[in-house]
Amino acid sequence: MGKMDKIFNELEQIVGNRVRMNASDLCCYSADASQIRGMPDFVLFPISVEEVSEIMKIANKYNINVTARGAGTGLAGGAVPVKGGIVLDMTKMDKILKIDIENLLVVVEPGVVQVDLNEALKPYGFFFPPDPGSFATCTVGGQIANNASGMRCVKYGTVKNYVLNLEVIMADGTLMNTGSECQKTSSGYDLSRLFVGSEGTLGIITKATLKIMPIPECRKLVMVSFPSSEIAGKSVSTVFSAGVMPSACEILDKTSVDVLLKLDPNVILPKDGDVIIFEVDGSKEAVDSAADKLKETLTPFASSILVTDDPDEMKKIWAARSLVGAAVSKLDPTKTRIYVGEDLGVPIKKLPEMIKKVYEVTDKEGLLPMIYGHIGDGTIHVGQFIDVLDQNDWDKLNRAADALHLAAIEIGGTVSSEHGIGAARGKYLKTQCGNSFNAMKSIKNALDPKGILNPGKLGFD
Amino acid sequence: MNFDKMKYGQKYFPDVDVRDLYRCVSCGNCRSVCPVFEVGGWESTNTRGRILIARNLYEGAEFEEEIFDSINTCTTCGICAKTCPAGANPPALVEGIRKGLVDMGKMTETQKRISETVDEFGNTLKSEEKRNSWLTSDIQVPKKADVVYFVGCLDSYRYKETALKTYKILNKLGVGLLEDETCCGSPLLRIGFSAEKQTDHNRKQFIRSGTKTVVVGCAGCYNTLKSNFPELEILSVSDFLSKNIEKLKSAGLKKLDITVSFHDPCHYGRDNSIFESPRKIILEICTLKEMKNTKEKSKCCGGGGGVRTGYNDLSIEIAKRRWEDLPKGVNALVTTCPLCVRNMRDSNSNPEIQVLDIIDLIESALE
Repeated sequence: MGKMDKIFNELEQIVGNRVRMNASDLCCYSADASQIRGMPDFVLFPISVEEVSEIMKIANKYNINVTARGAGTGLAGGAVPVKGGIVLDMTKMDKILKIDIENLLVVVEPGVVQVDLNEALKPYGFFFPPDPGSFATCTVGGQIANNASGMRCVKYGTVKNYVLNLEVIMADGTLMNTGSECQKTSSGYDLSRLFVGSEGTLGIITKATLKIMPIPECRKLVMVSFPSSEIAGKSVSTVFSAGVMPSACEILDKTSVDVLLKLDPNVILPKDGDVIIFEVDGSKEAVDSAADKLKETLTPFASSILVTDDPDEMKKIWAARSLVGAAVSKLDPTKTRIYVGEDLGVPIKKLPEMIKKVYEVTDKEGLLPMIYGHIGDGTIHVGQFIDVLDQNDWDKLNRAADALHLAAIEIGGTVSSEHGIGAARGKYLKTQCGNSFNAMKSIKNALDPKGILNPGKLGFD
Repeated sequence: MNFDKMKYGQKYFPDVDVRDLYRCVSCGNCRSVCPVFEVGGWESTNTRGRILIARNLYEGAEFEEEIFDSINTCTTCGICAKTCPAGANPPALVEGIRKGLVDMGKMTETQKRISETVDEFGNTLKSEEKRNSWLTSDIQVPKKADVVYFVGCLDSYRYKETALKTYKILNKLGVGLLEDETCCGSPLLRIGFSAEKQTDHNRKQFIRSGTKTVVVGCAGCYNTLKSNFPELEILSVSDFLSKNIEKLKSAGLKKLDITVSFHDPCHYGRDNSIFESPRKIILEICTLKEMKNTKEKSKCCGGGGGVRTGYNDLSIEIAKRRWEDLPKGVNALVTTCPLCVRNMRDSNSNPEIQVLDIIDLIESALE
């Protein structure tokens, strides 16, 4: 019996028929929504922390790599096993273990889907705010591993603001907790935050205690169109300076608006330029007052302003917005959205500079970009779409992505605002982080001395 | 992207739209809607997984038997296509891959059996009976008619009472029958075979009957006839009867004191936007309470795409999940496709709730 068959048998003893190693099943776990590819040797579904621990002991014994995976909706190859080994599909660990309103927290397994968590919290009048576009599919574990965020993070913050404790299985199979059910702590290193965004390179998350928030009483959308996306970018600083804190602040350039209207012609959006959708939430009085202030502040810059508080309308707009990333094919069936260079982040004041740079870079390559994203926290998603059957288009796309990443770093930004580094952006991390990259490497080596946890990510070997 | 490898697919999978195959961006949105994935849990039972496998095959990857459990478990319900943000059409890709594999001689015993059965018997049920054996002698079938009723295999052989009830109503509206109907070919097309023989046979029948309009009682037949006979007007039974609702009312259609829910068959609903006509008829007869997922978002019964025959346990489990969409306080679940009727009946754990073809409801209201 060969080594791989031997390992398979040992894994089978732990998880029964929840492990496979045939080529067709393996190839289904060789990708996420990025362009990164890597074939695993085994795919398995653990259903308990004990199983995860036993699996890690085997991996540690045989020096076999382990890549944890949620719904595989990532955009940087974080869950792609670029160096083979085991893919741990965590989606069957999907229980909401505790909803504790008095303590403002929930305890969940990592495979809980974001939308299911919020459906469960809804009757209590609470929610877990980080809301990526993939909320209907992505898992909480994946969100934590990527420090995901979303449209409402401008006000509510990202996942890191909500993690109170993580139960983690370490590379050698031992278990540890990174925090507690306390809302705050001042006790040594903040290991919860260390694990948030670590992309499965330090340990396997098997349980999470998360802070939750009350659902705001009212919401209102103020949709503003601008003569250019650079002016739209400038308007954001103006809004914050005026003391308004929107619960969402999403830019959609003209191309993105066209895509959305193609998806659903009945969606109410200004059609005369680049648009920012501001959402304000809170009590009715607070929402009305914030919306009025927004209108007043933005009138000098705006081409037009539309306001709605119709819940169905708002739901429709947000649902369409969440799909805009991949929807460009509906505008031109010969073009496909490819996720590279798509997740730039800059300080808010530098948004106009970054937007200008995006157009310069894409113009140079003859590509038409789509700019959208959570501009309120400095996030710029760049949608680039190509004819996937044209190698020349691929070359242009990759050159543009490289230039965009370097431009973001140059102006003091980040190559990833919320999608993560994975294998797609690893080569930029050292440039972006400088000496702190070496500190990260030391931490990685200390917690995973054999380098078996999701190798090939975050710029590590 | 390996363009050289794609040449293999262009040669062996000519029915696959290569641009569509690479249009999928693997975003995983389909995980939230694929009814097979909801039961199976493995990516290979999800649309995204199937497309990754399809790409591998297209680029010449070695074939292995396990591929069938992915490619052949798609019910072709099309909910992924409707919700795919990239605009891919996965059911067409799956059918293209199945066709390429079949043409290479790679198929399951079930696929082979279905093909042989339809070829030999002209129906999917291996029946040697006359196709119109359900027809009673008291009914006068017009020799020539502008409108004919295409019965389909399931109603011709398994649900003869549905065929009879349907035709009794249609006959009074001047609708004829084909002299020698045969299987529409849908079961073959869905699993990777050609259906030229069946299509040619039915074409001759349509020409001989002089028909201009075909009324169909099965969603699979409807989809296939609509695509194969663009020169004819193809109507579902519910379309035809809703157009003739005043005549039904004149014939004594009365209100029933019941509440029903309605299951949209995928090939009528999502594929052909037939949403309103069955609802119009139901609302003339009784109260309608919609299922949780309805119309374009309606979930599959699990019966289509050859899954009921090839993977019966999976098919029934999918149907059980569909039952979870039933609202409280209904007396019956009504649908308009015999395959849906069958799968929903076979998975029904509540004897107090009947599964009815819409024609059963109409007949009750005419009694």
